[in-house]
Amino acid sequence: MSRQAAFQRMPSVPARRILIWRAGAIACALLVTAAILALSGYSPPDLALLVARSTVGSRFGMEDLALFMSPLLLTGAAVTVCNRIGLWNIGAEGQFYAGAIGAAAIGLFVPAPALVLLPLMAAAGIVAGMGWIAIPTLARAYAGVNEIITTLLLNFVASLLTYYLTTGPWRDHVTGAQVSSARLPVSIPEIWGIVHWGFPIGLLIVAVLAAVMAHTRWGYEIRVGGANPDAARYAGIPVRARIIVVMLLSGGLAGLAGMFELAGTVHRLQGGMANNFGYLGIVVAVLARGSCLDVIPAALLMAFILDAGIVLQTQQLTASVVLAITGLMLFMIAIADELAHYRPVARMKKETAP
Amino acid sequence: MADAPDRPPVAPGTPPILQLRGIGKFFPGVIANKDVDLEVWPGEIHALLGENGAGKSTLMNVVTGIYQPEEGEIILDGYGRSFASPQEAIRAGIGMVHQHFKLVQAFSVAENIHLGWDEAPRRISARVMEERTRAISERFGFPVRPDARVADLSAGEQQRVEILRVLSRRARLLIMDEPTAVLTPEETRELFRALRAFRAQGNAVIIISHKLDEVMEISDRVSILRHGRRIATFDTGDCTPSMLATTMVGREIVRRNMRARPPGAQPVSATPVMGLRNVTMLDARGVESLRDVSLDLYGGEILGIAGVAGNGQRELTQVLTGLAAPATGQVLLDGAVMARPDPAAFARAGVGHVPEDRLRSALAPSLSITDNMALREYAIPPVGRRGLYDSRAADMLARDIARVATVDIPDFAMPVRNLSGGNQQRLVARREIRIAHRVLIAAYPARGLDIGAIATMLGYLTELRDQGVAVVFISEDLEDLLNVSDRIGVMFHGRLMAVVDAADTDMETIGLLMGGRDGAPMSARGEQ
Repeated sequence: MSRQAAFQRMPSVPARRILIWRAGAIACALLVTAAILALSGYSPPDLALLVARSTVGSRFGMEDLALFMSPLLLTGAAVTVCNRIGLWNIGAEGQFYAGAIGAAAIGLFVPAPALVLLPLMAAAGIVAGMGWIAIPTLARAYAGVNEIITTLLLNFVASLLTYYLTTGPWRDHVTGAQVSSARLPVSIPEIWGIVHWGFPIGLLIVAVLAAVMAHTRWGYEIRVGGANPDAARYAGIPVRARIIVVMLLSGGLAGLAGMFELAGTVHRLQGGMANNFGYLGIVVAVLARGSCLDVIPAALLMAFILDAGIVLQTQQLTASVVLAITGLMLFMIAIADELAHYRPVARMKKETAP
Repeated sequence: MADAPDRPPVAPGTPPILQLRGIGKFFPGVIANKDVDLEVWPGEIHALLGENGAGKSTLMNVVTGIYQPEEGEIILDGYGRSFASPQEAIRAGIGMVHQHFKLVQAFSVAENIHLGWDEAPRRISARVMEERTRAISERFGFPVRPDARVADLSAGEQQRVEILRVLSRRARLLIMDEPTAVLTPEETRELFRALRAFRAQGNAVIIISHKLDEVMEISDRVSILRHGRRIATFDTGDCTPSMLATTMVGREIVRRNMRARPPGAQPVSATPVMGLRNVTMLDARGVESLRDVSLDLYGGEILGIAGVAGNGQRELTQVLTGLAAPATGQVLLDGAVMARPDPAAFARAGVGHVPEDRLRSALAPSLSITDNMALREYAIPPVGRRGLYDSRAADMLARDIARVATVDIPDFAMPVRNLSGGNQQRLVARREIRIAHRVLIAAYPARGLDIGAIATMLGYLTELRDQGVAVVFISEDLEDLLNVSDRIGVMFHGRLMAVVDAADTDMETIGLLMGGRDGAPMSARGEQ
C-alpha cells in the first residue's frame, strides 16, 4: 500500500518557519534576477559584488541604508499600528506630505533657534499628519466608511498640494530650484556620517510601540478590537474610541516621517519628496506581519532593495528593471508566506485535535 | 376547518400533485430525512410540523431540487421526477418561498419578478415590466407596488414579491417555510386569505411551521416530522393543539432530575439578584423583539428559558448582560437600576455571559488562547495593573481556566480557533463562571456538543447554582431544560408567555406555550 501524502494547511505558522521560507524566497528571487541579468549580457557576480560593496560592504553604503530606513521605520509602523485594530491606512504617503508641509510651514516662517524650532516642527508634522487622517478616521468610526478608499484618495490631494506650494507661494526665489521651497534654516543634526537623529529616534519609537502593544491594557484592547470587534464589544471595550486614537496615532507617525525627511535629508519641501515611502510603508507592514518589532528588519530589507536599485541604475539598468526585481522579490515572499502554512501529512495518520 | 367549502372537489382517480416515497437524505454524521412518505393533493394546504432540526427544511429542499435525495422517489402528478436544480423544480410547477427572502434588495419589485424568468421578453422597458407585474399581482391577488425598491419594502411586502415570483412561473405547488415568522397579525391574515384563494383553484400549498394556532387555522392536513422521519399525518379537523404538541415534542425522555440540591448547597436567595421590569426592545425595523418582559432572577436558582429560536432570546441575553439598552423598562441589579448598557460594568458586578455564538462574539479566533482567556480579567490584577497588561499573569490565568475546564492544551500561544468547538465552549464557560459571582447568562451552552460535553456543561450550571449564583439557561432542548431548571419561562414573539415551575410542568405544556398557546395554568412568577 502506498502511503498517500497530502498537504494540510495549518491555521498558524511559527515565526521561524516563515523566516526560513522567506529566506528561500529571497534566494529564489535573486537567482531568477541573476539569470535574467546574465541573459541580458550582464555579469551577475560582478553586479552582486558591486551591490554588496555599495550597501552593507562600506561605511557609506551603511549610512545610505540607515537613511532609507528612517522614513520606512515610521511609515511601516504607521501602517502596522492601524493594522493591529484591523484597519488599513493606505494614506501614509499623504500624511507624510502633510507632515512635511506642516513642518515646513513652521521651519520657513517661524524665526526661532534650532533647539526650539526642531521640536516645534516635529510637533507640527505630527499634528498635520493627524489632521490629514482625521476625516477618514471620523468617517470610519461614525459612519463605517471604508478607510482604505478615503486614506488612499487623500494621498493625491496631499501630493498635489505639495506641488502647488513648491511651484507657487512657497517656491524658492533665491536659487531658483525647481519644484522646491527655499532651504530650511535648520536641520536635524547628524549623528553618524550623513545619518541624522531621525534614525535612532525612529528605532526608539518602534521599540516603544512594540512594548505598548504587547504590555499595556490599551495594547490588549487594540488587539482584541482588531481580531474581533464583536468580542471586544462583548467585553465592554470601547471599540470606536480605540479606532479613533489608533488611526490618529498612525497619521501622526507618518507625519513625523515627513518631518524627519524634510528636516533631516531633503532640507526643503519638494514635490515628489515622499518618494513612495508611504506606500512602501504598506509593504513593510505586510512583511512585518502585524508585529511592531518586526518592522525593523522589514524596513531594513526594503531599504536594502531601494539602495541596491540605485546602485544597479548606475550600471545602465533602467529604473523599470529595478522595479521589476523589487516586485519579484515581494511576490516570492508573498508566495512563501502562503506556502509556509502547508505541511505534508500522511493520509493514514489521523490528526487529533488538541 | 370552517373554510372547507373553499376546497374544490377532487375528481376520483386524480393522482396527488406531489408524492414522496421513502425519501432519505443524509449529511455526514446526521440523518436529515429517512423513510419519508408524503402525499399532497390538489386543493390542499398541508402543514409540516416539527421541532428545530426535525428535517422539515431539508425535506423541502429535496423536493425543490436544492438537495438530491440519497433514497426514495419524488412523484409528480403520477410521474417519477428528479430535479437537479430549483429551476427545474419551478418549471415542473414546484416553487418555494424561503424563510430568508432571496430577493435583490437594490432592484425594483418588477425587476425582481422578471429576474431569471425564462418567459420574460428579452428586451423589455421598465414601464412594460411594471405593467406586466401589475397584471400578475392582480391575477393572483397579491397587491404589490411594481416600481418600489425591494429594500424599501416591509417584510410582508417582500414576501408577497417572493410569492408572486413563484406564482408567475405557474407554480401549482407552493412551499412556504415559516411564512408568518416575519409578519404582523394583519399581514398574516392577508396571506392566509390569498393562500385559500390559491387553493380554491386546485393548487396545493405546503406550509412549514411550528406555530400550532396557525396550523390549526390554515391547514387541511398536517404531517409531523421528528428526527427526520414522518411520525404521523392527520386531518387537521381531527386534531387539537395539545395533541399536536405532544406528537411534535413527545419522545422517550430521560428526566434526570438535576434539580435536587446536594447537602451544603446555598439556598435560593430571598430577594432577587437581578430583574427586568416591563422591558421592551425594538429591532432595526422598529418591530418589538422583546415585549413588556418582567422577570426576577434569584440566587441559587436556575431559570430555564424555552422557546423556538428567534423569539426574543437573543435580545433577552443582550439586555441581561448590558450589551443593549431596553427601549423602555428597567434592568435591576441588586435592586439598583442599571442606567447605561455597559458590558464591562455588568461583568465587574458579577454577571457572566456564555453567548450563543462563541466564535463570533465571545472569542477572538486569531488571537492566542492566553489572550482569549484574559478577556474578562485583563483590567483587574493580577493581569491588569496600572494600565499594564501582564502577559505572564495572563498565561497563568489561562492555565488555571484550562485546568478547571479539563481541556488539554499543548501550547497556549496558539490561536484559539485551533481548538475544537467543544473545548472552546468549555473554556468560554469556565472563563465566564470565574466572574459570575451573581448571575450567569448561558445561551444555548450545549448546542453542538456531544452527549458527554452536554452533561459537563449542565453540571457547570448546577454547580454554580449550588454556590448561590442565579443562572439563566436558554435552550431549545426541553429535556435539558426540564432536567436542570427550577423554573422555566417560555418566549414567544418577544413575550415571556409564562414562567412555570419545572417540577409541576411537562413537555406538553411547554410545547403549547412555545407555539403561542396559552394553554397552561400560569404559575405566579417569582413565587418561592
